[in-house]
Amino acid sequence: MRSSAVDNGLRTGVTFGIVIVTMFLIGFTVTGAGLIGKLFGASDSATPSLMFYSLFMILIGMWAGASASPRPLTEADTFKRALISGLVAGLVSGAIAAVIGFIFGDLSANKIDPRTYLPSVSPDSIKLFLFNQTPLMGSLTLLALMTVSAAVSAALSFFFRSNHWLKNKSGETSNAARGFFQSAGLNRVLQSQYASYVFWAITAVVLIILPRVWGSYWNYVFGTVGIYIILGLGLNIITGWAGQLVIGYVAFFAIGAYTFALLTAPEPHHLTVNFWVALALGVLVAGISGLLIGLPILNLRGDYLAIVTLGFAEIIRILLKSDLMTDYTAGPRGIRDIGGPTILGKPFVSDVDFMYVIIVAVLAVTFIAHRLRNSRTGKAWFAINLDETVARATGINAFGSKLLALSLSAAVAGLAGALFASRNQFTGPDDHALMVSINVICLVIVGGIGNIPGVFLGAFALKGLPEILRETESYRLLIFGVLLVIMMRLRPEGFLPARRPELEKHAAQTPSGKEA
Amino acid sequence: MDKPTSTSDQGKLRFGRYVRMFIGIVIGVFLVWRLYDVLVVEHKFGADTWVRFGLSGLILGGMYALIAIGYTLVYGIMFMINFAHGEVMMLGAFGGFFVFEALRFIPAPTLADPKLNFLDAHPIFSVFLAFAVGISISATAGYFLEKIAYRPLRKAPRLILLITAIGASIFLQNLAMLLFGPQRKNVVNPDLLDRGAGWTITVSGNPVLISYTGVFSLVLSAVLMIGLYILVQRTKLGRAMRSVAQDKNTASLMGVDVDDVISKTFIISGSLAGAAGVMWGIHMGLVNHYTGFLPGIKAFTAAVMGGIGNIPGAMLGGMVLGIIEATGPAALGIDFQLKDVIAFSILVLVLILRPSGILGEKLSEEKL
Repeated sequence: MRSSAVDNGLRTGVTFGIVIVTMFLIGFTVTGAGLIGKLFGASDSATPSLMFYSLFMILIGMWAGASASPRPLTEADTFKRALISGLVAGLVSGAIAAVIGFIFGDLSANKIDPRTYLPSVSPDSIKLFLFNQTPLMGSLTLLALMTVSAAVSAALSFFFRSNHWLKNKSGETSNAARGFFQSAGLNRVLQSQYASYVFWAITAVVLIILPRVWGSYWNYVFGTVGIYIILGLGLNIITGWAGQLVIGYVAFFAIGAYTFALLTAPEPHHLTVNFWVALALGVLVAGISGLLIGLPILNLRGDYLAIVTLGFAEIIRILLKSDLMTDYTAGPRGIRDIGGPTILGKPFVSDVDFMYVIIVAVLAVTFIAHRLRNSRTGKAWFAINLDETVARATGINAFGSKLLALSLSAAVAGLAGALFASRNQFTGPDDHALMVSINVICLVIVGGIGNIPGVFLGAFALKGLPEILRETESYRLLIFGVLLVIMMRLRPEGFLPARRPELEKHAAQTPSGKEA
Repeated sequence: MDKPTSTSDQGKLRFGRYVRMFIGIVIGVFLVWRLYDVLVVEHKFGADTWVRFGLSGLILGGMYALIAIGYTLVYGIMFMINFAHGEVMMLGAFGGFFVFEALRFIPAPTLADPKLNFLDAHPIFSVFLAFAVGISISATAGYFLEKIAYRPLRKAPRLILLITAIGASIFLQNLAMLLFGPQRKNVVNPDLLDRGAGWTITVSGNPVLISYTGVFSLVLSAVLMIGLYILVQRTKLGRAMRSVAQDKNTASLMGVDVDDVISKTFIISGSLAGAAGVMWGIHMGLVNHYTGFLPGIKAFTAAVMGGIGNIPGAMLGGMVLGIIEATGPAALGIDFQLKDVIAFSILVLVLILRPSGILGEKLSEEKL
C-alpha cells in the first residue's frame, strides 16, 4: 500500500518537474513572477523581484502537493500516506528542476549563452531561476522550496478533504448559501418584471456612458471584443446549434471585409459607396458565399466538412496575398483608407462613435440569434445536432437547414469583417489568417458551446483578458491550446453551458415514470 | 451515410449530385483547356524542366506519403483526424536538426584535416543518430498525445476529439516557437549529403541534377513504407491493428488489448512522421515551428485522396499529391506562389467530388 503512495507522488512529481522545466525554457518563470508581482501592486512587472518568484514557485509546489495527495479519500488513506505522496512529488519535481537549473547555471557561469538555440533562456531568467545564487546553492534552494511547499500543501489538502472537515464546515456553508439564494424574497425580487427593466436600464446607461469615459485604448480593446462577440455568435449558429464544425470561418470574415473595403476605399477601384450600403452588401456577399460553399459540401461527414472549410479559408488567404489578384484586391499590401460610417451626411469616425456602431451591431446580432434559437428553424438545428438520421425521419430538411445555418453564420461573419475593416480603416491578407478562426472556435467553446451568454463570456475572457494581462501576450496561443485540450477533457460544454439539452433530457424522463 | 428516407429527400440528394457533377465538369474543362494551352500552344518548358519538377515531386511525395500513413492509421482506428500530426513531424525535424548541431561541435581531428568535426567525419553514423533521435522524439510525442489528450475522450463525440486535436496542435506549435524561437533555422548537413551535390544526367541536351539528399529521402521513405506494409500485413501487431480498425468490441472479445493497440498505432504513426520530419530538414534545409503545419494538411489531403483508412491509398495519394504540387503550377501556367492553392483545391475537390478517395475507403459501419 505504501508503494502506491510513493508511486502517486512520483508520477505527479515527474509531471510537475517537466512543467517547471518547460516554463523555465520558454521564459514563463519570469512572466509568472511578474504577474504575481502585478497582483500585489509591484510597479515594474518586467523585472520581478526574488520574493514574487519564490511565491510563484511555492504556488506551483503547493499545486503539485495538492494533486499528489490522494483523491477521493478512502478509509485506507492516512495522514502519513498523504504526506509521503506530497514529499515525494515535491522532491522529484524539485530534483528535476534543480538538475536543469544547475546545468544552465553552470553554462551561464562558464559564459556560454544558450540563447542561440533556446532564445527564451536569458541570463537574467537563469539567475532568477536559481534565486540569484551560485548554481549549486540555487538548485538546492529550489529543491528545498519545492519539497517543503509540496509536503505542506499535501498535508493541508488532506485536512481539507478529510470527512471530518467536510461534514462540519462545507455542508453548513453550502446549505447556508443555497438558503440565501433560494429564499423566497430574493427570488420574487429577481423574477419580477421590474427587475428585468432595471437590469436593462442599467445596461443601456452603462453602454451609452462607458465609450465616452474610458478613452481610446479601451474603446479599441472592447471594439475588438465586440467584433469577436459577433463572430462568436455567428459561428455559434453553425457549430453550436447545427453541430457542424467550421474551421475555416475566417474565410467569410475575409469576404465581408474585402467586399466592404473594395466598395468604400479609394484604391484600387475608386468606389466610394455609402457605409450602410457597403455594409449591407458585405453581409449579403458573405451570406451568398456561405450558400455557395455549403451547397456542395454540406453532405459530408462532420470532420470532413471542418477540413474542407479550412481548405477554403487557406485558398482565399493565399489568393488575396498573391500577385495574381493584386489588380483587384491590392495584393499583400492590403487596402488602405477604408470609409467610415456616416449618418445623414455627418461622418461618424471617432472611436467613441464607432464603438456605438459596434454596440448596436452586437445587440442586433444577439437579438437575431436569440430569436433564431427559439424559432422552428432553431429547433430543427438542435434536432440535426442531436441525431441527423432521426431528424430526417421526422421530416426535417436536414440539408436545407444546415445550408441556412451556414449561410446565416457566413453573413454574420461578413458583418464582423466589414466592421473590422471599417474600424481599422485597413484590411490586408494577414488580418485573415487561420488564427482568427481558431480564436473564435476557442471563445465559443470556452464560453459554452450553443449558449449566447457563453459567447460573451468567452469573448471577454479570450480577447479582453489578454489585453489586461499584457505580459502574457506571447504565451496567449499556447494557453489557448492547453485550454482547448483541458476544456474538452473536463468540461466540454463550456463554462456557461447551454441549458436546452438538460431540459430535453428531463422532459424525456418524466413521462417514462422513472423519475417518480 | 446518405440513405434517402423519402422521395423528397431523394430529390434533394439528386440535386446535390447534379451540383457536384456540374462543378466537376466545369473544373475538368478548365483543366483540359489550361493544359492544352500550356503544353501544346505555348510550349514553355522543355523535357528537362519536367524531369526536374517530376523528381522534386516524387521526393516531396515520399515525405507526404509517410505523414499521410500516420493520418490514415489513426483515422482507421480512432475515426479521428489527428490534427496535431503535422506538429509531431515538426518535433522530429527539430530532433534531427539538434543532433546535427550537437555533432558539429564535437571535434574529430584527423591528420589530413585538423578542423574536422564529428558530423563530417562520421556522416553515416550522424545521419543514423539524427533519425534515431528524431523518430524517438516523434514517437514519444505521439504516444503521450494519445495518452494525455485523446484517451480520456475515447467515447466522446468526434467533434470533441477534433477540437482537442486542434488544441494540441496549437499547443505544440507555440511551444516549439517559444522554446526555439520563431526564426527559421538552417539545417547544416554533413558534407556527404550536401544539398547541391548529386548525379547529373542529361535530358534533351540540358543537365538535370539528381541530388543525393533527394535520392536518400526517396529510398528511405520507400523502405519505411515497405516495412510498414509488412508490419501491418504480416505481424501479430498488424493483425491486431486491422481487427481493431474493423470492430473494436469484437476485437476486444477476441483477446486484443484495444488500448495497447491504439497506443502502438500512435507510436508507429509518430515514428513515420518523425522520419519524414528529419528527411524534411535534410532535404529542404530549413526548420521552424511552422514546418509541420502545411505538410500536415497536405498529407491529410493525400490520405483523403487515396481513401482515408486505406494504407496503400495513403502511399499512392502522397506520391500523386507531391507530383501534382511540383508540376501543377507549371502545367497550368500559373504563378508558383499559388502552389499551396493547388494542394488545397485538390483537398476541396476530392472531398466534394469523391470523398471515398481513389482507392476507396475501408470503413466499417461504425465510422459513418
